[in-house]
Amino acid sequence: MKRLSVLFFLLTIAFAVNAQKYMTKNGYIGFFSHTPMEDIKGDNNQVAGILDISTGDMVFQALIKSFHFDRALMEEHFNENYMESDKFPKSSFKGKITNLSSVNFSKNGTYDVIVEGDLTIRDATNKVSTKGTIEVVTGGINANAKFNIVPEDYKINIPGVVREKINKNLEVTVTMKYAPLEKK
Amino acid sequence: MKTYIKISLFFVVFIALAGILAALMMYNKKHPDMAKTKPDFIVTASVLQKAFEDDESAASKKYINKILEVTGKIASVKPSGNNVICISLVTGSDLSSVNCTFPAISDPSKFKPGDEIKLRGECSGLLMDVLLNNCAAIVNPK
Repeated sequence: MKRLSVLFFLLTIAFAVNAQKYMTKNGYIGFFSHTPMEDIKGDNNQVAGILDISTGDMVFQALIKSFHFDRALMEEHFNENYMESDKFPKSSFKGKITNLSSVNFSKNGTYDVIVEGDLTIRDATNKVSTKGTIEVVTGGINANAKFNIVPEDYKINIPGVVREKINKNLEVTVTMKYAPLEKK
Repeated sequence: MKTYIKISLFFVVFIALAGILAALMMYNKKHPDMAKTKPDFIVTASVLQKAFEDDESAASKKYINKILEVTGKIASVKPSGNNVICISLVTGSDLSSVNCTFPAISDPSKFKPGDEIKLRGECSGLLMDVLLNNCAAIVNPK
């Protein structure tokens, strides 16, 4: 049932008209924290996302356990202590491109966009608004954005002992390479 | 007395050093070398995908956080991020495959759609696909 609800969540804007939906199952989300004490970088290359170019709707979901860290201990702490990924296995974003009319999806090129929506991490949801780019290429669409989040806004409690090792703001990078959603 | 104190001091310093060394080793612990790690389960991509499709809750309990050795046919090979390759495997489903990320592959061109592959990785769970992380291809399985 859960899988059906994931599919439903991702495909609520799919299959409506015709070739307006673009999808990826290997989108990238990374986050980065820099402090004088330590750099922390987590990468997720298995983000599932759908973009509807007729409405500008953009949704994606990521499994927390798919975030990769170079250090195994860091990955363990991330899952077990900070994100409690057994309890909150997924993170999701549901939003839209607010200046859709400034993008010409029929012409290859890079377009500046504003994306606004709800970002859910653990069981906390916050509004996010960020600048980004939409790159129209032959056979696909690439979306890029970079924005900051505050861990405490998402109930990510960082113990005082290690607080200085993690930046107050985490830099989040999103890179999606969409291909047309093919109906089977 | 003095000898007793010297021996006690020696042991205290030794234990402190051993503790520091153990902490450093833990801190710098790398991900397991999949080629040398015994898998918890050996499955085909089709069987794995079907298990999640039939009963996600049971399959999640069985496979998540476990090392899986998976065999299957490559559906696609996509580069992503820094030196990361994502290989998806053919399953019995049109909608859902087994999606595997390889943090470092020396020669990604040797993997082509249609090839058979045997790999080991850690199961992260189900999104649209069954996701495996920290994967490595098994050439000479141990």
